[in-house]
Amino acid sequence: MDKKYGVYICTGCGIGDTLDMEDLVGVPEEEGVNCTTHPFLCSKEGVALIQKDVDEEKVNAMVIGACSRRVNFDVFRFDNCIVERVNLREGVVWPHSRETYPALTEEQKEDEEHFDRIQMKAQDYIKMGMIRVEKVKLPAPYKTESFSKKILVLGGGVTGMAAALDAAKTGYDVTIVEKTAALGGYAAKLRNQMPVSAPFETLQTPVADSMIQEIQGYPNIDVRTSCEVARIAGQPGEFTVTFKKPGERIPFDVPFPLPEEMLVDENGKELDPEAAHAKFLEYNEGRKDILNLDPEGELYGAVILAAGWRPADMSKENYDHLGLDLPDVVTNHEFEMIAAKGKIVRPSDGKEAKNVVFIQSPGKDDDDADFGYAGSVTSQVALKQARYVTEDYADGKAYVIYQHMRTPGLQEYFYKSMQQEDGVFMTKGAVTGVESQGDGLAVTAVNTLLGENLALKADMVVLAGGMVPATKDDPVVNLAYRQGPGFRDNDIFGQYADSNYICFPYETQRTGIYAAGAIRRAMTIEESIEDAAGAALKAIQCIESANRGMSVHPRSGDMTFPEFFFQRCTQCKRCTVECPFGALDDDAKGTPKVNPTRCRRCGTCMGACPERIISFADYTIDSIGSQVKAIGVPSEDDFDEPPLRFLALICENDAFPALDMVGLNRIDYSPDVRFIPVRCLGSVNTIWIKDALAQGMDGVILIGCKHGDDYQCHFVKGSELAEVRVKKIGDALASLALEEERVAFVEVAIDEYDKLPKIINDFVEEVDALGPNPFKGF
Amino acid sequence: MTETYLAQPDLEFIARVRGLGGDTLKKCYQCATCSVACPIAPENSPFPRKEMIAASWGLKDRLIKSADIWLCHNCGDCTDLCPRGAAPGDVLAAVRSAAITEYAQPKALAKAVNDPKKLPWLLGIPAIWIAILAYITMAHEDVMTKLFNVFGIAWSHAHDGAEHVIAQADFFSTWFVDLTFVPLAGAVVIIFALTLKRFLTDIHENAVMEGKTDKKNLDYKALLQAMGRVIPRILKHEKFNECETNKERATPHMMVLFSFIGLAIVTGIFFIVLYVFQTPGPYSQLNPVKWLANIAGVALVIGAGLMIKSRLDDKEQVTTYKDWYILGIVFSVGLTGMLTEMARLAHLEWTSYGFYYLHLIAIFNLFAFLPYSKMAHLVYRTTAMAYAEYANRK
Repeated sequence: MDKKYGVYICTGCGIGDTLDMEDLVGVPEEEGVNCTTHPFLCSKEGVALIQKDVDEEKVNAMVIGACSRRVNFDVFRFDNCIVERVNLREGVVWPHSRETYPALTEEQKEDEEHFDRIQMKAQDYIKMGMIRVEKVKLPAPYKTESFSKKILVLGGGVTGMAAALDAAKTGYDVTIVEKTAALGGYAAKLRNQMPVSAPFETLQTPVADSMIQEIQGYPNIDVRTSCEVARIAGQPGEFTVTFKKPGERIPFDVPFPLPEEMLVDENGKELDPEAAHAKFLEYNEGRKDILNLDPEGELYGAVILAAGWRPADMSKENYDHLGLDLPDVVTNHEFEMIAAKGKIVRPSDGKEAKNVVFIQSPGKDDDDADFGYAGSVTSQVALKQARYVTEDYADGKAYVIYQHMRTPGLQEYFYKSMQQEDGVFMTKGAVTGVESQGDGLAVTAVNTLLGENLALKADMVVLAGGMVPATKDDPVVNLAYRQGPGFRDNDIFGQYADSNYICFPYETQRTGIYAAGAIRRAMTIEESIEDAAGAALKAIQCIESANRGMSVHPRSGDMTFPEFFFQRCTQCKRCTVECPFGALDDDAKGTPKVNPTRCRRCGTCMGACPERIISFADYTIDSIGSQVKAIGVPSEDDFDEPPLRFLALICENDAFPALDMVGLNRIDYSPDVRFIPVRCLGSVNTIWIKDALAQGMDGVILIGCKHGDDYQCHFVKGSELAEVRVKKIGDALASLALEEERVAFVEVAIDEYDKLPKIINDFVEEVDALGPNPFKGF
Repeated sequence: MTETYLAQPDLEFIARVRGLGGDTLKKCYQCATCSVACPIAPENSPFPRKEMIAASWGLKDRLIKSADIWLCHNCGDCTDLCPRGAAPGDVLAAVRSAAITEYAQPKALAKAVNDPKKLPWLLGIPAIWIAILAYITMAHEDVMTKLFNVFGIAWSHAHDGAEHVIAQADFFSTWFVDLTFVPLAGAVVIIFALTLKRFLTDIHENAVMEGKTDKKNLDYKALLQAMGRVIPRILKHEKFNECETNKERATPHMMVLFSFIGLAIVTGIFFIVLYVFQTPGPYSQLNPVKWLANIAGVALVIGAGLMIKSRLDDKEQVTTYKDWYILGIVFSVGLTGMLTEMARLAHLEWTSYGFYYLHLIAIFNLFAFLPYSKMAHLVYRTTAMAYAEYANRK
């Protein structure tokens, strides 16, 4: 692309009033680049002005000095042009006013004492914008070699069936893989399901059967029962999937990473990489490496994970006081199976069970926790099963002893209706014991609504076993990814399939794999069906984005992808290991193989690479590095007391919008800081920090999202990795005789804009106390 | 550690409370707004939250043996503020009704009083009885005179010879009045005495179990002293006046209570006047006792009338058969009494006798069914309030 540059500066929204426009226009003109100003650049006339230059082929790489790039992005869009938005409004004139920083008089402009800090910031930003358009390329979309639009659904329960139906209805081919011999999952085994429609008072016939029927009417749904996935290789749009019969051992079973205890030798020392690899190969004897594609494998575009849950095995837990060994003490699952067969009868002698106690939490100690994996669904199940008792026997009595009764949303009506039943008795309480007494059982509880110590007589006791997600001890998806067959962070989600269900439901850390239903959290049938629709839409979005070479999420529509300059690769594997999404697979030598459609374009690999060989078309080490170098660092040669200069690398997902809000609210902060938005702090390569300090800048601050178990990082690991890298930079600084404090890392949430000015000012003050960077002026 | 309580929900009791106007008993979700809102609940284990829990669990023994249900004056503040649409005030009223039936002896009579289908019997039996006695009074004066002479007692209490005087005794002998009502009152007292012994034992046991008293044993003397302290407060309607929602009911209630007291005094005085001073009625309207009688009678009619009106106006408040029965009886007693007198003063002899006949039936209902009707609260609530005073329930 033969670049033709142009700079356009808007003088509206206070930009022209605050800044010396003549001086600012001089910045590009000095470089021989034409600069046009307009009082209202985002107006029809303003845009037409630019469009005219584009049409006349005068310009195809432009800098627009106006508002933040977060606004008017649809207005300033010119096809096949590189557009760089310089944030003069939210970034310069809105936070910094002439009341605080008066304009210089003509004499002051000439002396070496005075300087205009607002103008300097604007000048730097224009320069930084200009160098960026020079350094970046227009992206060309990545196309996979082959492409499939088929959707693979793992699990034939309600969630899987609902997802398959939703996808099939929009015209996509779907394959449902079900481990057992029939569709339906757990929902098919129930007597009844919870109410799903107003007035939420009557139990419903399970929907599973009608869904199975409905599926038969869709020729584009391929159902494979008694089948499971041996491996899913490749990337969205071209996943190569190998199926097998459950329990079968085949060469295309996915290799498993070595368990941790096998990574050490007999003396407990960590194995060296070669020994570890040898052991890995031995451990996975007979299994093909992940990079070996199954020639018999079938192609799929995206995967919906709906593997669901299984009833908790209570016998393994320490619940001796609950009389688990007594025949008439059953789990809610066992009770459901009894109920599905007919009237509620006791397992021990087949006698009518008219008095049933439902226990919702183990009750021992002071802990009020429910049984593992129990939650709102088990609360509702207890209510539903209590209804069975009063349904079956006019004089039936169902007791519910709970620590928590969770009936979210409209299910509250169900709770109310159950409360109304004469034969239903509920109390909060901690169960202390279940014992056999005479012909029946005796249940004791403390701290109940009815007093300190409560005793009940029962024919049967039902324990609220939880819903254990299938991902607890099985990767399920069996991905042929170098980072392993399952999701990496399930432990922070209690072994539910990882998904950031507040911000991005369905989204897992593996692009193209969307989780739905009880594998994400305990859900009712109704919730699962709704969830399935979401996951189906995500799968379709993935296919349609990958098909056009675009990123799916969260940088939807981004057409760049990581490009490697392999000649300089040292096979250090850091990119493969650190990629939060397992997008890279390395071969036996350690050379990374890119899977662009798996990639979310965060640039964490770019930040990780010590050789700096990874880049994106419009985002490279050089493009940012050059922007850093374009920042003017005044020294004593320029002024008697030169202002300090700081670099802030700011995450464009949350922190940058927060900074825009600071501007929007006209809150001032040090105008000596230059902000460069980055895709994610994970993409920050420490070379930028070193360059900034080497050219005499006084401090560098990284501002990004919260990380940890309750992370807000859009790329899961980016800000966490950045902090680790910044900590490591401390040694390098020490060798340059620079203080560690010159580099800071802070976490900001998107709603914490009010804290940002203080964070910035505190950092500036702290560095100010250290004195100017000794490298200034070199 | 307190004793372990074996909860045995009683489905029949739940159904009964529902039927008695407590159909919201299962709506409670234990937020305790009611107990906070209640202006008269004690601070230590306040009602009606715990009663609502017990009611929803059908724990009959815990409820009917609790003195707390009687401390409740059905202010309705709890019902007003309940976020769940439960009506603790009405539930407790229903529980009280169930408790009256539960303690009452004989049970069959108690059931009849609360059964609208039995109303013809409740009215019919005294109607026949009084009709028979009226017939004897009027048709067989000579027989009765002879009969009484055997015992050396004068039969007639009537103003003999004075044609212009209409005397109720000419229609229905005062002897018959007292021979009917004095034994009836005696029976009621005995029934109450027996019941109260059980009631007191129960409420004390319950208070000890629930930690609502600082007394271990029941000391009847101290209890009586407590009663002495409580009665003036009851007369002043101190608790009733603390109510918000149903505050306006306190005045009619007070009117009715005081008119009964007034009428009791009048009856006592004229009883003495008749039997000791041998001066039969009717007495002069200038007589101060007669003033009291007239004032009390008017107050009774107005008070009971206001009560009926407020029940009719208040659509929120549950009003059941037991409420209408007792209000009807009380109102009838007052109204027929006044009409009897007015007809007499208007020289409408047979009209006056007709009203008097109805009056006697109403009084019979009031007296005979006192232990079984809502009127029994007179005894239970007073006892419970005295017990609370005695037990330091604050």
